Amino acid sequence: MIVYTCEDSFEAILTCIYDAWASGLGHRNLKLMVEPVGNLELFCEYRHVDPDSTKVESVIRSIHKKISGYAYQMIFRCAMSCSSEKADIIYRFLLLGFHYGRQITDMVQLPPVLALFELDRAVGNEAHYFREFIRFLNMRGNVLVAHIEPKSDVLTFLAPPFQDRMPSENWMIIDDNRKSAVIHPSDQDFYLTTLTEEEFKRLKTLEDPDDPYIDLWKGFFETIAIKPRENYRCQRSHIPLWYRKHATEFQNPLP
Amino acid sequence: MEIIEKDLSLQEKLNILADAAKYDVACTSSGVDRGGKKGSLGNSCAAGICHSFAADGRCVSLLKILQSNECVYDCKYCLNRASNDRVRTTFTPEEVSQLVIEFYRRNYIEGLFLSSGVCKNPTYTMELMYRSIDLLRNHYHFNGYIHVKAIPNAPQELIEKIGYLADRMSINLELPTAEGLHELAPHKTQASILKPMSLVQNRIVEHRLAIGKDPHMERSGSNRYLSGTIFDTAGQDRIRENASYPAVDSFRTPSLYRPDPFVPAGQSTQMIIGATGENDYQLLTTTQKLYQQFDLKRVFFSAYVPLNEDSHLPSLDTAPPLLREHRLYQADWLLRYYGFQAQDLLSNERPNFNILLDPKCDWALRHLELFPVEINRADYATLLKVPGIGTKSAIRIVKARKTGVLTFEALKKIGVVLKRAKYFITCQGKMQYHLRIEEDFITRQLTGEDYKSSWEIDNPQTYQQLSLFDDNQFASAQPIFSDIQKSLHGQL
Repeated sequence: MIVYTCEDSFEAILTCIYDAWASGLGHRNLKLMVEPVGNLELFCEYRHVDPDSTKVESVIRSIHKKISGYAYQMIFRCAMSCSSEKADIIYRFLLLGFHYGRQITDMVQLPPVLALFELDRAVGNEAHYFREFIRFLNMRGNVLVAHIEPKSDVLTFLAPPFQDRMPSENWMIIDDNRKSAVIHPSDQDFYLTTLTEEEFKRLKTLEDPDDPYIDLWKGFFETIAIKPRENYRCQRSHIPLWYRKHATEFQNPLP
Repeated sequence: MEIIEKDLSLQEKLNILADAAKYDVACTSSGVDRGGKKGSLGNSCAAGICHSFAADGRCVSLLKILQSNECVYDCKYCLNRASNDRVRTTFTPEEVSQLVIEFYRRNYIEGLFLSSGVCKNPTYTMELMYRSIDLLRNHYHFNGYIHVKAIPNAPQELIEKIGYLADRMSINLELPTAEGLHELAPHKTQASILKPMSLVQNRIVEHRLAIGKDPHMERSGSNRYLSGTIFDTAGQDRIRENASYPAVDSFRTPSLYRPDPFVPAGQSTQMIIGATGENDYQLLTTTQKLYQQFDLKRVFFSAYVPLNEDSHLPSLDTAPPLLREHRLYQADWLLRYYGFQAQDLLSNERPNFNILLDPKCDWALRHLELFPVEINRADYATLLKVPGIGTKSAIRIVKARKTGVLTFEALKKIGVVLKRAKYFITCQGKMQYHLRIEEDFITRQLTGEDYKSSWEIDNPQTYQQLSLFDDNQFASAQPIFSDIQKSLHGQL
């Protein structure tokens, strides 16, 4: 068994798929994995692949041409997932996709398509939840900053809806796990960047803990629940505990 | 004796007016898609966005507050009735706008839900609400979602002016029958509620026709594959689109001028259940009529939570009928998305929902002659009638089977709830297991499986004593009069 490995980025995964395909080893004899590879298997040869922009372009072009734009979107979302098997799932999907063409995205009865469909849905749902549950802190200087710790890399899906929602505000969303951020200056387009330790520290000093609207919101949130209908299990199923990490209303409840 | 506090802090005011507003259930931000604009704040998403979930598991999508909790009316069920001794306060339009803008920027809310007690008189109250919304829309350039509750007996001009600024308007029907309303809300009449409702409806129709749309509100897209839904039979005036002409939606007004939208997300209403003696059939037929005659987008149900002591109301220790509310919502979805009619689900002989089974299972068990259904061949409408298959999985089935045969394994992965569906479907002519299609047998199986979840809806946050016997007890299954008679005569 030959295992192709690559770093965890969209470009690297597509290059890896290109190389695996071009190797001519036979689809049954190879596997794709995203680094870091935890447990090495016996009787496996590991080949590392570095991203290559021309190969990436050619894969993207063939997905658009032979399957559909919708399939490309699904693949992109899957590549942002936290699953370690995503590269292999995308590869198996493309095998069928290049054979069946456009209709492949409806063929959920095939296990490889279903695997991609489920991964796509999981990432889409996570992005949607963060769209609902992220909370901005008002910094000094009227900049809004939100911190998230998502499992999948959802920043690229979060930015467009917020650009539409608050086009004339300065805001940034920071992914604490990946140390990346999307920054939106007022009335301009947003951009992605990475943050250094110093920048994180400096951001911390700019936070405004006396923002009166934090307490107003907490008070409102506590009041709005109807006592005789209290149902924490229902609440947990709608907003699971791990999403609450940075949600204002669940931090240090009012005395 | 009422206390009107003059110098409350904003926090106290917010708590008082949110506390007074929380019994309104319609906290959705759905129904209209509107992109953001540079220079203004906010957009709107037709699917609706929930921003948090309160301790009772209900979503917090909008900043739900009253403009004022002062009220001259004395509706018996209401917390803010004139005869209750409560701290009374009123938001200024400036305060409402500040709260909405600052909460919205921090992604706490999706917009504003503004209701009000009747402060001084309906006109004064409605004008105050209009000023709040006008300030928000035209001074602060707020482009998010606004839901306004119309006050019965308010003047027509004010309701119209608000309609051009709000996304959704609602007038609470409160109780499905005129008698119930007369008994519990002596200052309101059904006519005073239905008049503004039809006013808003007429303006919506005028606007929709002016921009070249069908006069009726959009419904779920998949409804076009169904025939005989409640919306099809809504009056004979419904325009049938003729295939030889272009679709009405493709028309655009020739001029550049586009009229301002009027209540683009439609109107909704709310009914209290469990405060008076109406049965589920009455509630559901009223709901259906509201959808058909007033073209409402949503009808909400609110389980009655006892707040006041009154001889006309259930006693204070009554638990809110949560399971009944749940069943009504299930039936409401069946009306709007599944092509059912109220008469299919209930009748005068069986006026209440089965507490052990959901309405669709209940219906299917009474129509076993239609089952089993062949998954690989049945049309969309038939698939939807199968318990355990929803709109999403039905669409997926229809798409997937074009390219290959579906098996039970695939169905499970697609999202069909086989636990319920297995009694009603075949794949390539075979059922999943050897099961008898017999009413008693299936009922026994299904109630056994659903019993736990039904019990939990009515008794949240509690536990049940282990028992060797099936002693299913539901709060809504209270002894009726004849049971008491029987027990007195020693028959029970």
